[in-house]
Amino acid sequence: MDLSADNLSIFIIVPGFNEALVIRQTIESLLAKKYSIVVVDDASTDDTRKALLGLPLYYIRHLSNLGQGAAIRTGMELALEKGARYLVTFDADGQHDVNDIEKMIAILQQGEVDIIFGSRFLKGAATNVQATRRVVLKTARFINYLASGILLSDANNGLRAMTREAALKMQITENRSSHNAQVQNLVKKHQLKYAECPVNISYSVYSKKKGLRNINSIRILYDLILYKIFR
Amino acid sequence: MIPIQIVLISAVVFGAFYMYLRLRNNLVDAILIFLFCGVAVFFILFPDMTTKIAQWMGVKRGINLVFYFITIFFFFLILKLYSRMRRLENKFTEMIRENSLKKSEDLTDKAP
Repeated sequence: MDLSADNLSIFIIVPGFNEALVIRQTIESLLAKKYSIVVVDDASTDDTRKALLGLPLYYIRHLSNLGQGAAIRTGMELALEKGARYLVTFDADGQHDVNDIEKMIAILQQGEVDIIFGSRFLKGAATNVQATRRVVLKTARFINYLASGILLSDANNGLRAMTREAALKMQITENRSSHNAQVQNLVKKHQLKYAECPVNISYSVYSKKKGLRNINSIRILYDLILYKIFR
Repeated sequence: MIPIQIVLISAVVFGAFYMYLRLRNNLVDAILIFLFCGVAVFFILFPDMTTKIAQWMGVKRGINLVFYFITIFFFFLILKLYSRMRRLENKFTEMIRENSLKKSEDLTDKAP
């Protein structure tokens, strides 16, 4: 594939687990912007592949469910192999706004930062975060800070963009949601320059039902402690 | 010798031999297994010794001291098992990833 045209050297990595109902809609909105797309199907039991047939994208399927962190790493490896210049992670459930990608890539193109994190709490982000969710996310932010030494305003946002050079250093080994803290850790370890960008999140009934529930944060904390002990 | 001593000693000796035969350990492991076995048999035969050691260490009863040591032992065992589990998980992940990357496909021309 000739990557010089349009946005094809920008690879959007979409990890998905049982998102067949909405993933096609999410992907079509990305295709409208002419990005290259890598979908990583984390051993879904629904017809995720069938929902994507006919769309110009790379499809990878894990034989066994490994978790979001593992899916992102797999997608990044393929994107790097295909010659990606910029890599973006984007949730499959449609909670992110496609227009935020342009803003993030524009910042990366200035060459000042290596990785940019989406944040639903920065000024300029339009969200409707529930009060309890807000508390959980704020707590997670400090825990990730303790674990990584980097304080972000939104520690567990699925929308991130990085340069190829940064992606080569992102050797994610945390398979589940504790990968968010690990990414911060790797940023610190490799002294990457990072920034945050306000992004819109739309919590649909669907994404609320499907996404991480607050109670999952306990499991994430548990994984994070194990990561800190055993890495 | 009271019945419980016979039961415990047979269990310990059987366990040690089983581990030795089954795991085909190297020399250091074999020595450790039989050393451990010997210590266990000694304390089964002379349980009052645990109390003497306990009092020397400032613990009242021998059984308490044994309990403390077992707690620490199991704690380390769990840590070791976890780290092994994580190593296995990493290997498993790498295998799944390699396989899925090999089979990656372009869905453009796949008719719905």
